[in-house]
Amino acid sequence: MADHEATAHHHHEEDPQAQATRRAILQAAIGVSAGAAVLSTLWVGAGLIPREEKVPSKEPVAVGDTLVFATGPKAGQEITLDDLRAAQGEKIPFIIAFPKSPENVVKKDLITNTVMVILADPAKMSPETRQHASPEGVLAYSAVCKHLGCTVSLWQNDTWLCPCHGGKYDIYNQAKVVGGPVPAPVPQLPVKVEGGKVVVAGEFLGKPGADV
Amino acid sequence: MYQWLDDRLSIGKLYAKAFRKAFPVHHSFFLGEITLFSFVTLVLTGIFLTLNYEPSIRPVSGSLSGGQEVPAAYYSILYIDSLPFGAVLRSLHHWAAHIMIAAAFLHMLRIHLTGAYKNPRELNWIVGVFLLVLAIITAFTGYALPFDNYALTATKIGYEIGAAAPWVGKLMSDILFAGELSPTNTQTIPRLYPVHVLWLPLALIGLIGAHLAIMIKQKHTQPKYAEKVAPGKIVGVPLFPQQAAMMGILFLIYIAVTTFIAGAFLAHPVQAFGPPTANTPPVKPDWYFMWIYGILQIIPANWRFEFLGATFGPQFWGGILVPTLIILGALAIPFLDYSKDKQRYLELPSQHPFRTSFVIGMLMFYIMSTLAGYKVDLGLSNGLLWVLVFIVPVITGVVSYILLKAVYGKSWNQEVEVEFIGKGSAADD
Repeated sequence: MADHEATAHHHHEEDPQAQATRRAILQAAIGVSAGAAVLSTLWVGAGLIPREEKVPSKEPVAVGDTLVFATGPKAGQEITLDDLRAAQGEKIPFIIAFPKSPENVVKKDLITNTVMVILADPAKMSPETRQHASPEGVLAYSAVCKHLGCTVSLWQNDTWLCPCHGGKYDIYNQAKVVGGPVPAPVPQLPVKVEGGKVVVAGEFLGKPGADV
Repeated sequence: MYQWLDDRLSIGKLYAKAFRKAFPVHHSFFLGEITLFSFVTLVLTGIFLTLNYEPSIRPVSGSLSGGQEVPAAYYSILYIDSLPFGAVLRSLHHWAAHIMIAAAFLHMLRIHLTGAYKNPRELNWIVGVFLLVLAIITAFTGYALPFDNYALTATKIGYEIGAAAPWVGKLMSDILFAGELSPTNTQTIPRLYPVHVLWLPLALIGLIGAHLAIMIKQKHTQPKYAEKVAPGKIVGVPLFPQQAAMMGILFLIYIAVTTFIAGAFLAHPVQAFGPPTANTPPVKPDWYFMWIYGILQIIPANWRFEFLGATFGPQFWGGILVPTLIILGALAIPFLDYSKDKQRYLELPSQHPFRTSFVIGMLMFYIMSTLAGYKVDLGLSNGLLWVLVFIVPVITGVVSYILLKAVYGKSWNQEVEVEFIGKGSAADD
């Protein structure tokens, strides 16, 4: 105790330079350790970033996949031309679908794989739209609204309507936006019909998913 | 026995110091207490819910789901609803959250209209703004927990709005929701659950503690008449027993009324929505998000540009920029309307026409942008809604300013005269 006092006294009296140096060293030490604490928190916090899982059910849609029902009692079953014909008379004339790989894996764990498929009159379609539809009139688009990622699931006055913020798409003209706050059209998915089933004939004609 | 306790805990001193704290009495002063009671109710009902909830989406099936395989989180809600009063307690948790946000908002309006945010209470106003924002965020993190189709869709919109923040948005959303929000993401519920039931409530408890501690330290503002009755003193009733009795009665009334509401209007029927599917039901957010939802609907699709790799689009303007500006504006209020002298007494809204008409204009903005949330349902056009949301509030503000001046302007002069005469006579004495 006495020793301490003596030392303190000594510094105070004789060497203000040493005191300033000591203060600078202490301040630097505090600064460095605070910085290191923040960095290490970020380093540990990086563990909160989710890891990407590579599983077959998360693969993106590919050429040769068939389209299957995404919901309802027929979920997982392949969509046929007859199913689409039956849907034509319904209040919702389209079917929400997932791609199924030739290895029989339904790729349902990737949201941007949600697809809308409809049987429409080819005469109503614009030439570009018709080019990527099947000759029978089977037409498919990404069903994930470009605005905030809801599934576009309603149909009103011949337009395709998102229930979340009222986005409207013209399916006969490359899903051009005809209403609501949607920033861009959803990409078309080229399809064809093989053996009565709907088969993917090409990649999405753009990036699917919400455009944020 | 009392003596024994008093020797150790100095109850007598504590009583004299803390329990005699004076509370000014005014019915609008109970709004903060109602907010606090809601929080207490949320914690208590929340404890009941956590004890029966399974934070996982592993597929389970049982008699409650009719043998159908459903996510465990969804199934545990069916289980809670099957318990005695389970559905009522879950409903009470839901309504208490709504009432907490509403009461906090009204409490804030009361503070704003009476100028109680001024020096020296700027800090507590800021804590209060953060409390309201945090309460809303906490409510939002609870949206997805029932894991039905409606809940997941509503949360997904929040995920994408978060992702619309420039540069860091996607990362922040992915951290909060443990990856992209989807019906099959097994990480999301285990991530949201502790955030909703532990970390955010802890943060709320900390901020509430700070809010009350600052209030006790700075003392209440009080109605003007107190200045005439006893200048410089707090005119009110002591915390114990009078104020405590009033709080106790109010708490009992609160519990009675909210339990009645919870029982009569059972909230969020998960069976009706069903477990999440690839399809989206028509969703509407809760009323406190409806104004953002409305603004999102009326921002034109082509308002969009790219800058240094980030997209600034309608989602960003409506979902992030407008709410952020309003929160920053709220934080700035005590510094824009700063009083040099310490504010001890409440101001009459009628005597501050600019502030009062500003508040009325802002309320009109909330009402009109909420109305815009019903754009599709009511078939309203964008042009009309732009006028309603951005022009009508300005007109309302200007008209109320003129009206306040016309109606109360005369009485201000009179009051000044009365005060002057009062001072004169005081000098005579």
